[in-house]
Amino acid sequence: MSVAWIGSQPVSLMDAIRNAAKLLASSRCPVFTLDTDVHGTRSAIALAERLRGAYDHRMGEVLAREIALYSNSGGMFTTPGEARRRSGLIVLVGEIPAAHHDLLQAWAASQPDLGDRGKRTWFHIHGEAGVTKLARQLKAVALGAEDLSLSGALAVLRAELQGRQAGVSLANTAQLRKALARSRFPVFVFSGDSGDAPSLAMLQGLVADLNKTGRASSVFLPADDDAWGAALTSLWMTGFPPRTGFSNSLPSYDPVRWDVQRMIRDKEADLHVWVSARGCETPPKGGKVTVICLSCTEAPAAGAAVTIAVGKAGVDHDGVAYSSRVGTFHAIAATAPSLLPSVCSIVQQLAGALPGRKALPC
Amino acid sequence: MLIRLVGGDVIDPINGDTSQRDVWIKDGLLVDPPSGEGANETHDVSGCIVMAGAIDIHSHIGGGNVNTARLLLPEQHAAHLPRPANTPLSNAGWSTFQTGCLYAQMGFTTVVEPAMAPYTALHTHLELADIPIIDKAALAILGNDDFTLSLLRNGKSSAMLDDYVAWVVGSTRALGVKVINAGAAAAFKENVRSFSLDDTVPEYGVSSRKIVKSLQASVTRLGIPHPLHVHANNLGIAGSADTAAETIAATEGVPLHLAHLQFYGYGTEGKRKFSSEAARLAELVNANPDVSIDIGQVMFGQTVTISSDVMRQFSAIGNASPKKTVIMDGDGNGGGGIVPYRYKQDYYGSLQWAVGLELFLLINDPWRVYFTTDHPNGAPFTAYPELFELLMSSDARDAKSTELNATALGLTTLGSVRREYTLEEIAIMTRAAPARLLGLKDRGHLGAGAIADVAVYRKGRDIAKMFREAALVFKNGDLVVKNGKVTHYRWGKALRLNPPPDKAMIKRMKDYHEERYGLSLDWFTFPESAIQRPEPFAEVSCNS
Ligand SMILES: [Zn+2]
Repeated sequence: MSVAWIGSQPVSLMDAIRNAAKLLASSRCPVFTLDTDVHGTRSAIALAERLRGAYDHRMGEVLAREIALYSNSGGMFTTPGEARRRSGLIVLVGEIPAAHHDLLQAWAASQPDLGDRGKRTWFHIHGEAGVTKLARQLKAVALGAEDLSLSGALAVLRAELQGRQAGVSLANTAQLRKALARSRFPVFVFSGDSGDAPSLAMLQGLVADLNKTGRASSVFLPADDDAWGAALTSLWMTGFPPRTGFSNSLPSYDPVRWDVQRMIRDKEADLHVWVSARGCETPPKGGKVTVICLSCTEAPAAGAAVTIAVGKAGVDHDGVAYSSRVGTFHAIAATAPSLLPSVCSIVQQLAGALPGRKALPC
Repeated sequence: MLIRLVGGDVIDPINGDTSQRDVWIKDGLLVDPPSGEGANETHDVSGCIVMAGAIDIHSHIGGGNVNTARLLLPEQHAAHLPRPANTPLSNAGWSTFQTGCLYAQMGFTTVVEPAMAPYTALHTHLELADIPIIDKAALAILGNDDFTLSLLRNGKSSAMLDDYVAWVVGSTRALGVKVINAGAAAAFKENVRSFSLDDTVPEYGVSSRKIVKSLQASVTRLGIPHPLHVHANNLGIAGSADTAAETIAATEGVPLHLAHLQFYGYGTEGKRKFSSEAARLAELVNANPDVSIDIGQVMFGQTVTISSDVMRQFSAIGNASPKKTVIMDGDGNGGGGIVPYRYKQDYYGSLQWAVGLELFLLINDPWRVYFTTDHPNGAPFTAYPELFELLMSSDARDAKSTELNATALGLTTLGSVRREYTLEEIAIMTRAAPARLLGLKDRGHLGAGAIADVAVYRKGRDIAKMFREAALVFKNGDLVVKNGKVTHYRWGKALRLNPPPDKAMIKRMKDYHEERYGLSLDWFTFPESAIQRPEPFAEVSCNS
């Protein structure tokens, strides 16, 4: 079985590395799209710095929105574990990504042993997108307004809870008010997919209001756990979340300037390193840019100058990933250990094949 | 490899008076002058002082809260000046990579992250592992978690608490234990808004004092070298000196370390009801040999406060500058608050600055007072060189004082204190004493057998410049800094204790996590290989 290709031609791994390194060395502006575990991300960022490139996550769009919530205003948060153990009142905000449904179902099947103790009740605030399937499954009381956006609905709810007239009213707010009065630690669950930036900020305003006299918090379930893990990794490595680029040797964070898809479209980038060691995807077609593809693939990526097959963290080799189950990083053991190389080892070999042959710091 | 440093003034109070002598390094260790063997490498360090590498016992350099602060404040990087690029990622402002470089350039070779939430230990160690050059360590936070509080409420045996503490320290790979506003984070979840030493946590009926005393006793019984590291109640509040005084009195013959005492040095005198109680606290520390403290000095400018004291940080939201904060009700001992803050040269800032200096200067024993800004809470650690100058020069203090609020300074004793730290006292406070406090027998001095962590500074009138740019720094015998610039990258280790876990406690922990979180214990623990660096940890032994 082949593990490396130049164009569609199978080659030895060493030839592929050498060829890819040549492309990297001659690139004026290489850009990286990342989708891998913590260690793959660390090595790719280190390589991006070496080459004075820019990097983004494959889920860069929604990730940028989640990051903006923190860097614009912050908020009050709690962990999934604490919500499970303490909160008898969970309010789902908008759509929660399917990846987190098991987690929320598990809360529904358990009772808080601290704080509220006993039964858990569920509410669901939604806008024009309507009641979600998850909310129906969890028998959540709908705080709906089909003719309002989610941020509009949150604004109305916020006003009503403060006793202000809002012009329109939501269904079932009286019921929520009663539940809030009973709960010692109500928790609002949201994700970057729940709504736009103003609605996430509005939600935090509502939580802040509730904390003036009582307690409340929110659980942030990332639209994509691995993307969030990559953001955290990027933060400690460069001081910045993605989208970050290196001009001179200084990292700079700019979600518009370093939007990798935009840079490819606008022909600012001349080389695209596509790292997909999780979804095993191939880079999007089109665009004039040269592509190096590191993916858990069994075939060369169409249009890529070089393709190298890599293993999946947690399947082919051990790894570290962010998980909303614990709200932090956890170690993942390989379930089917294989000889496929990790992203990290390929990236280190690429760095070793560059002129100067200096090792990467990770 | 034999290295010889020739002609420097060696300041090494543990091994005798300051004198001009050669220092010899062989294979990463300090050795006595070898007879008949020539050096492979000789450095002329005449006109320089030679000290052991410095040790910082309390600096928030990595982990969940530090990273959240980066997330909240991408603009904070302006506070961290770029340096010429010659090492990977060393220009990445406020990153792990820059942290290691900046510390090394000042001659620091070991730094302790004092607030590791047990459930985020892997995250903390991943960050520490990406801090180059220096050795690191972390203290595990305890005292706000349901398991500890339930043990205390249910009157379980001290042996069971010991087993739990040992399991946490071992599984999180910590060098010691810290308690942060004991019980307050748990109480805050029950909507309690202020919490003192004798207040009790709702639902548990356990007082803050009881938590501190129980953990202090446990740490001592387990032979953990570093005494319980206590972040007391009521941080930053006018009148908090009373809390500090009560906590100092609560040592009761057992060692205890009180963190960032400056933030508790406040009385309620004056028109603004905010005054200095530093002189009183210094006297209490002087009179109690069981207590050691670090300062948490305030220096002026923009910074960000990062603390697991979630109740305190919540109450400080209104002072945030810029106006954005993160408040996190974490699992048990996790969470906290990130509140950006600018220390201005106004009444409050001037008073805090003076209180810190008063404590430094009025506490007599340099073995029991530690050099910290509680990075970044009082100031970023990059302000250390200026702080050394303030301690060593009363003229420098006078000069700075003229820029500050005279009313505030009038309520302190600072102007009348003329003490100037000697280089020997600096060497004790930043080298010998921290090594002893942390149980690190292999460093903090330049005696034969110690690891070759050596800082060489060029003597000069400008004290800040001298300490900002070490002439030479060796880490484990590797030359890593020359003329204030990092010249060589290497990877230090995280220093950890490894008390053997009790089998019954492991079983308990498995059951507890499965029952309460619906997850197996391995979600909360990690193998050493998860760090993906060769030998990321080094073991430090407990006292027998
Ligand atoms: Zn601190």
